[in-house]
Amino acid sequence: MHTEKKTPFWIVGKSGAYAILIVGLIGTLLPFFYIIVSSLKTDAELRKTPPDFFSKEPTLSHYITILTDENIPIARNVLNSAVVALARVVITLFTSSFAGYIFAKYHFKGKNLAFGAILIQIMIPLQVVLIPNYLLVVKLGLIDSLWALIAPSMVDAFGIFLMKQFIESLPAELMDAARIDGASEFGIYWRIVLPQMGPPLASLGIFTFMFTWNDYLWPLIVLTTPEKRTIPLLLVWYNTQHTSNQGLVLAASILTLLPIFFVYIFLQRWIVDQATQSAFK
Amino acid sequence: MAISIPSLFKKETVSDGGKLMAGQRRFAYASLIPILLYLGLFTVFPILFAFVMSFFSYTPIREGSGFLSLGGANPFIGFGNYIELFTGTSKPAEVFRLAVKNTFLFTALVLPLNLAITLPLAVILESVGERFKTFFRAIYFLPTISSSVALVTIWAYIYAPGWGLLSLIFKGIGLVPPKSWLQDPNTVYFGVPLAMICVVVAHVWQEFGYNLVIFVAALQGIPKTLREAARVDGANVWQEFWLVVVPLLRRTVLLTSVLTVISSLQVFTIFQLLTRGGPKNQTQTMLLSIYENAFRFTNALGLASAMSMILFIILLTLTVLQFRILRTEWEY
Repeated sequence: MHTEKKTPFWIVGKSGAYAILIVGLIGTLLPFFYIIVSSLKTDAELRKTPPDFFSKEPTLSHYITILTDENIPIARNVLNSAVVALARVVITLFTSSFAGYIFAKYHFKGKNLAFGAILIQIMIPLQVVLIPNYLLVVKLGLIDSLWALIAPSMVDAFGIFLMKQFIESLPAELMDAARIDGASEFGIYWRIVLPQMGPPLASLGIFTFMFTWNDYLWPLIVLTTPEKRTIPLLLVWYNTQHTSNQGLVLAASILTLLPIFFVYIFLQRWIVDQATQSAFK
Repeated sequence: MAISIPSLFKKETVSDGGKLMAGQRRFAYASLIPILLYLGLFTVFPILFAFVMSFFSYTPIREGSGFLSLGGANPFIGFGNYIELFTGTSKPAEVFRLAVKNTFLFTALVLPLNLAITLPLAVILESVGERFKTFFRAIYFLPTISSSVALVTIWAYIYAPGWGLLSLIFKGIGLVPPKSWLQDPNTVYFGVPLAMICVVVAHVWQEFGYNLVIFVAALQGIPKTLREAARVDGANVWQEFWLVVVPLLRRTVLLTSVLTVISSLQVFTIFQLLTRGGPKNQTQTMLLSIYENAFRFTNALGLASAMSMILFIILLTLTVLQFRILRTEWEY
């Protein structure tokens, strides 16, 4: 663009571009913004018709009510979500990078066949195997436990694919040198390959974390006890209990969104990168 | 001295390629076998079991006599479930046929709306400075990383009748908002129920960030010289978009469309929580039917498995199409 002259036409075009981008920005943020300002209203203001956009006497009372409600095991539910998400991140990163390493750096009979077998997973979305997975989890005695959320998702074919591609770009000399120095095959993966995989592991890890944190359908099917619930399940249940108190419902939604927003502020570049890669493979 | 002996020994094995390769092969097999066994249990077995179950009248409460509770009290009924779904007059079958129609209607509305927003927006976003681009992109991506359960609550409040944000905006610009956005089965525009339109809008708002970042990345991959050449030849912005950018993005647009269709066919949360499939099943979808028949009302796992297999065949066809597009070589 540096070759362009700043003609009036160019300036109009540029302003038009920014105008459209800002309209899009408002459209994206307005729903969030409206809910945040509404959640700060008093109950009387929430009932007012027509409502004012902004509260005249903003209050955090709905947030305080939720966070100090002794009838909901909120700390426990946050912990559940965190434990499941972290467990799935650690396990997925290990299985993806390790299998990716094997496929990238070893030659053996049946390699293409094995890789094809792993890719089958991409063709079978979890949504079409809800029923057999449910029966499987029941048979394994994992129903209504956090293991039910972890056990079926320990291997991610797409993660293996991404890691394989990255490891293929690492020079083989490094591994041969380690081998000559007496490193075991697993030692090469653990001490030579893994330390170089920071960026792809971070992208896959953050994405897995957010996906797991927001997951709803599968937890809905396998968890029943209130203490076992993850955050999305807590939010749905909480909302059904307080349908007449909009302030609490809105504040609960904002509280659900906040942790991920917080993560996103710091890690957005990696998250967007991972999303982009997931389309191109 | 004791230390140098193993290292000498190792050096010898390095020169002995055959032995080393054998060791590496053993390591590779030993590592992959657990992973393949795991996928056998949690990927291959479930899809095969779903397939088999779809030919049985299966309820987990009944103890069947045969293998995996199949048979006995859970009898084999051949294509019974499928025949019921396609031609039967029971409530689940009639609702499911509606659900198939609705799922495709939803997808058919989401795809063009999504592309109409994301493609031009990506081109505009590509044309602004790097720092603005990163900023806008980060904001546009915000809904996609948000918990869809929380977003449903937000949209329920926006679509609230009378005093919701959308009704207020309508009144603000002098329009008369409908009495109810989500619950009136009689408001239909061009054959599309209003509730369905509302779900489509909320869903596209939530998901457009994905396609946007993909298109921005693809645009960055287009050689600048091509677009500059078009401009030198006197093309205006409109012509540049339709005659240069769109044809060059053809593969990405095709791929993104397939991915959008695949994901639209599997949307669950917004249908279950915002409209609950209503009003009058106007927003009932295939996945919602599977969930309700299997886990909520009847525990008709056999029937729900047949529904799953129908959804699976559709998704599999699209996935194969996606892989074919990915494999094709394209050149600018």
